[in-house]
This record gives sequence, structure tokens and C-alpha cells, in this order.
Amino acid sequence: MVDDADALVTLTPEVFRKERNIDARILHEVTEIDLKGRRLQVRQLDGNKKAWWEPFDQLMIATGALPIKPDVPGVDATGIYGVHTLQSGIEVRTAVDQERPKRGVIIGGGYIGLEMAEALVRRGMEVSLVERAEQVMLTLDTDMGALVSEALMAVGVKLFREESLQGFDVRDGRVQRVVTDKRTLPADIVILGMGVRPNAALAKEAGISLGEKGSITLNDRMQTDVEGVWAAGDCAQSFHLISKRPFYVALGTVANKQGRVAGINIGGGTAAFPGVVGTAVSKICAAEVARTGLQERELKQLGWKYVSERIESRTRAGYYPKAGRITVKVLAEKGSGRLLGGQIVGYEGAAKRIDILATALHGGMTVQEMVHLDLSYAPPYAPVWDPVLMAARQVEKLI
Amino acid sequence: MGKERLVVIGGDAAGMSAAAQARRLRPDLEIIVFERSPHTSYAA
Repeated sequence: MVDDADALVTLTPEVFRKERNIDARILHEVTEIDLKGRRLQVRQLDGNKKAWWEPFDQLMIATGALPIKPDVPGVDATGIYGVHTLQSGIEVRTAVDQERPKRGVIIGGGYIGLEMAEALVRRGMEVSLVERAEQVMLTLDTDMGALVSEALMAVGVKLFREESLQGFDVRDGRVQRVVTDKRTLPADIVILGMGVRPNAALAKEAGISLGEKGSITLNDRMQTDVEGVWAAGDCAQSFHLISKRPFYVALGTVANKQGRVAGINIGGGTAAFPGVVGTAVSKICAAEVARTGLQERELKQLGWKYVSERIESRTRAGYYPKAGRITVKVLAEKGSGRLLGGQIVGYEGAAKRIDILATALHGGMTVQEMVHLDLSYAPPYAPVWDPVLMAARQVEKLI
Repeated sequence: MGKERLVVIGGDAAGMSAAAQARRLRPDLEIIVFERSPHTSYAA
């Protein structure tokens, strides 16, 4: 979609140095945090690798996330990639450009797996996807996940659900085949899309508290439990505004907000980040997938009584050219009608409608209130009842 | 006693957002970012 990786780099170290007086040093790895001595051990990756100590008064930990690597034979072979940073994405692209792989196997049907499936299909490859669960996109309910599976198969991805990875056949250090508990898939390139975990080892070794899924615990000002030490982004914990529980999410949008709040507080200002409602959006070829709030699995775990309904509609007036199919599912609290979550799968113009539901969640709206939302309407943009409002109307009947 | 020093570990979205905001409010702060990869703050 974007031809040049450099176009994705929003600000270079030179820009930070010259325009903002921020001394950004790339290829520098921090290997230890010494909280008592208020200093960090650092080494330069392209230099002589000899470590030295750098003092700090305030410390901001933004170490990101790491791809979850399965503990199976052959996982370190050449040709197996975990895509979680710009650099790792560039490595995959370089491999595809230079080695012209024909068969790609994706392990894991989360959004990284799905987006990589799209990328490889677009490059004309034969793509298989292995998912341990009975559905792809576990952040969707089963019925909505099934629509994503259909969309994947429609673009030619071979989908193997309820299959678990056993290992990789390797020859001369290079991956040859993916072995599951049910079959063997020849592979020229393998993408690990099994999710990410917080990269919080440095913080942990320093004695900073970790919480949900091993992410760094924070208050709403992004302070850790150590004075003058802050954290934000994929290594840090967040808070779920609907379940009212600690929550871990690795998304750039949350990282930007948490980082901004941390920076304001470090600079002597006052800011708080209240938390998230679990909004995410993704695209697999033409299909758009979006979710927000709590899903059935989470609601059952919480033991909350809920009702839900799923509707099918169009993204524009039915008679208007290019009106895409859209399925909207809305979940609300039984009795009160308070909105708890929503999911959308559809085609052009479908996904960003999730923001209506996300905003309504932030506002604590009920589906009864949502029915009267004054949303925009003209035939090129929506049917006269927007699909989100149609779903809200259906759920209202069940309250 | 030198300038107060903020050190940021990680130069992607969270780290660079924090550094930029801190700079805006505190022109006097010394800010250093250590990033392991060859890139800072990218679109993801």
C-alpha cells in the first residue's frame, strides 16, 4: 500500500535533535536500570558494544512489546518472522522482494496475522493461516469471527482452524515446512502472528511492579510505583473503562495518548489518562473488521447479564452505487440497556462506524438513548437508519 | 549541579510523544532517548 518504508517514519532522529532539542540516539540499547544509583547501563549496537552508565533524574520507560514466540522445535530458523516493528516489517518485505517466496504460512489469526495474510496475498503468494482456536479474530464473538473467516477464504487464504503448531521442519537452517497436529504445510516464509507481550524485563529486573499480562503498573498519570519513573505504550498497563479492571492492549493509538500524558506530567503539567474501551479496527483485503467494548466471552467471565443482536445492512443507501454489506452486532446490559460493546464486519465504509459505538461507550449511553442519536445521513454515506442505529433498535427490544 | 535530565528508553510512539510534550513544557530539561532499532517514531 505504501511503497517506501521511509514514508512511515514520521520524524527522524535528526528532526528531533535540530527542531526539538531532543537527543535521540538510535542503535543504543539499555541493558540495566539502576534505580538506587539513578542511572542506566547503555551500549551502542553498531559500536564496540562496551557498556557505560548514563545518569537520569526522571526516567520514562517506553520499551514496547515483543512478539509471542512459540516454544516449538525449529522456531529460530531463517524464513520465520515476527512482525511487530517497522524494522521487522522491512525484513519481511526484503525477504519477499529478494527470495520471491511462493508459499507463505501465517501462524495465528489475530490482526497482525490477518494483515500479513493480506500483504502476502497481494504479492501473489499462496497463503495458509493456522489458528489454534475455532475462529480467527478472538477479539470478536464467534458469529462475527465467522464472517472474517469467510472473507479470508474469499480472497484465497487457506484457513486451518483448531490446529495447533507443533514445530517447523528445517533444512540447512532454513524453514521448509510447518507442522501442525493435523497436517504438514510446505512454507517458503512463515509469519508469527500469535500476538505480543509487554517488553518489561528491564523494569521487572529493576524491581518495578508489573500487572496485567506482565505489563508495567501505572496510575492514571502514567507513574510507576517508583518516584520519578514513568511508563507508557505497549510495555505499560491500561485500564478498561467498561469492565473497570486493569487491561493490557498494545496499540499505537493508546501509546500516543499515554506517552503524551506522561510527557505533560514529567514537564510539570497535570494530565490523566482514564483508560480505554478496547476499540480496534483492521482490514483484510476489502473486508473491514472493527470492535469496541466487551465481547460475549468477557461478559460471561465477568458474570454480567447482557443482551445482544446482530443486523445486516448496507454502508450507503441500498440503491446507491457501491453500497457495501455491513453486519453490526451490539451488546447491552440486560435491564438497564447500558451499551457494553459492539462489533462490525463489512465492506467499504463499514469499519469507522465503530467510533460511534466507542464514543457512546465513553459517554455511558444506553441503547435507548442511542436510537435517537442525530447521525449524518445522505444516500452516498448511509441508509436513512444508520446500521449502528438499526442494531441499537433491535437490542432495545430485548432489554 | 547540572541540568535536570530526562532519559527515555524507547523511541517509538510512547517514548517520543512523552519526550516531545516534556520538551514543550520544559525548554530547560535535558532529554535523551535511547532507541535500540535504527528508527524513531513511526506510523504503526
